[in-house]
Amino acid sequence: MSNPFTSIIKGVVINEISETTTTKTITIKLVNGSMNPMPGQFNMLYVFGLGEVPISISNLYPGKRDIVEHTIRFVGAVTRAMIKAIRVGSQIGVRGPYGNKWPLEEAEGSDILIVSGGIGFAPLRPVVKYIIMNRERFGRVNILYGARTPEEFLYKYEFEEYSKIPNSKFLLSIDKPYPGWTGYVGFVTDLIKYTDVDTGNSYTFVCGPEIMMKVAVKKLLERGFRKDKIFLSMERRMRCGVGICGTCQFGHLFVCKNGPIFRYSEIENYVNVEGI
Amino acid sequence: MQLYRGGIEDIINIYNTVKEFLKADVYGYKRYGNSLVFDFIESSSELPIDVHVVQRPGFYRVSRGFGFIHSSHSPKNLLYPFKQELFRVDQELNIKTLENSLKPVILFGIKPCDVAAINVFDKLFGNNFNPYYLNRRRSVVGIVVEECLNPGETCFCSTMGTGPDARNGFDLAFAKVDRDLVIFKAGSSLGEKIVAKANLQKASDDDVKRYEILLEEAKRKTNLGIGVEDIQTSLEKSITDVELWRKVSEKCVGCANCNMVCPTCFCSEIVDDVVGDEAVRIMQLIGCLSYTYGLVAGGHFRKELYTRYRHFILHKFVFYPKQIDLFGCVGCGRCTVWCPVGIDIRETVKTVASRYRG
Repeated sequence: MSNPFTSIIKGVVINEISETTTTKTITIKLVNGSMNPMPGQFNMLYVFGLGEVPISISNLYPGKRDIVEHTIRFVGAVTRAMIKAIRVGSQIGVRGPYGNKWPLEEAEGSDILIVSGGIGFAPLRPVVKYIIMNRERFGRVNILYGARTPEEFLYKYEFEEYSKIPNSKFLLSIDKPYPGWTGYVGFVTDLIKYTDVDTGNSYTFVCGPEIMMKVAVKKLLERGFRKDKIFLSMERRMRCGVGICGTCQFGHLFVCKNGPIFRYSEIENYVNVEGI
Repeated sequence: MQLYRGGIEDIINIYNTVKEFLKADVYGYKRYGNSLVFDFIESSSELPIDVHVVQRPGFYRVSRGFGFIHSSHSPKNLLYPFKQELFRVDQELNIKTLENSLKPVILFGIKPCDVAAINVFDKLFGNNFNPYYLNRRRSVVGIVVEECLNPGETCFCSTMGTGPDARNGFDLAFAKVDRDLVIFKAGSSLGEKIVAKANLQKASDDDVKRYEILLEEAKRKTNLGIGVEDIQTSLEKSITDVELWRKVSEKCVGCANCNMVCPTCFCSEIVDDVVGDEAVRIMQLIGCLSYTYGLVAGGHFRKELYTRYRHFILHKFVFYPKQIDLFGCVGCGRCTVWCPVGIDIRETVKTVASRYRG
């Protein structure tokens, strides 16, 4: 086996989109390597001299193994550098892809519900894209997406496309009233009551802040969704991506290796335990 | 198993024989100021033969004597250094890997609990492929174990099934009964060869009896009086008992000494050290008891200290078995000895077990 740490592929940023004041989507062309990341997986992105950060795949480029796309939110030193200093033409190191994927094969033939909050929509965007590309493989689709304000939605330029997915429902929410906003105001988890997928035969993919995911699970279970068909994308302090730095442990699970996508029934004993 | 006998001088005899036979560097415990370190042993005079350690919760003193136990160091210091350079990278992201050739190494006089800890790392880093550990581990060509007929006050290897006698994963083991009687046993064909080369005599029935009496006594002393399965199941039930975990961790100061001295604690972070035009990627240990464990730019996954102490304990007894089917605690007691406030892991597991057993 090759050394995971030194398997950094040189990448060059070929496109950037400013999504919000704190987030940016960058498209990276891999120069001396290739990969075929699946929805739900992540890469370790490296900025020289600053370090690496785990960032989920946020788009699909079928057939193009030398292109990856990531949406980055400015939270710490490395991501700040990515937002402020990385431009089209900048170099960035990429190693991965790591982790498991959303169970799209398993979900074939079933309805799909997506529940996402804030930057948590980023790892789910490839799922939406996959559904669009393979629409016949799935039943009814509901997409719920919440943000604090209308400006903080990612991929606004694709919303029209999402709302046109046949046999689907695309619902947005914002936390507080906002001038000009005529949609739902409240938590995205409130929208679960408006879903019209078949609860007993639906796969639900959830990603967002931990508290949002906990509430989402509670409401989903109350509505009769099956706990073995609810999947959460967890986040922890990931440093290595390959289960040897240990800092992403979630109970006995290494989020980077056993996850980041977990079936709720496998982690139900941990989800509500503070700091596990 | 055939046992052999010798005197205290035969420990030096074995040291010389194994070193000569394997043509390898010897690493082991040696006196360093008022403590002991795990380091390169240049000559047999450095072996801790005339050393005695007194260890209690939050207490460690080295004196002259015969019953050396162990130290804050362990073979982890060699096999998984606190800081290790992973590779170098320049601004164009060209990577320079390290020279990976390590000299052959003999681990000499390590403890049965140390061997158990190496087994844990072997399995963990074999499953979760870690080339840096495996490379160092492969350099180990011989393991000589010193059994503990005089275990430390904080040791509980008998409960954990890791000592005080050598069980597996060693080439040769010795046990100091007294200055005139040291018992040797081979754990591999290499060990058999060393025994033959060192001209050791077979132990008499009387020798064996004296050894076994002391060993039984050592087993009794290192037994917590509670089964490890009981510890495991009660800990698992206690996960959501915040009040209990706050209580057992109330004295903890979050210094992470326990993590650093634990022979199976491996959690690390990776940092860049920029030197000239290059960045050196360095992996360094970070203990789960330290505040920064679980801290990320966007928040904190284990902000409260009790959650970090709980992780330390649960990882050893509950999570490690789920990860690699071995306990992560080897019963060495180092965490207890080197805790500045003397938090006793034995008391913690007993407290939890007394509430949740049965």
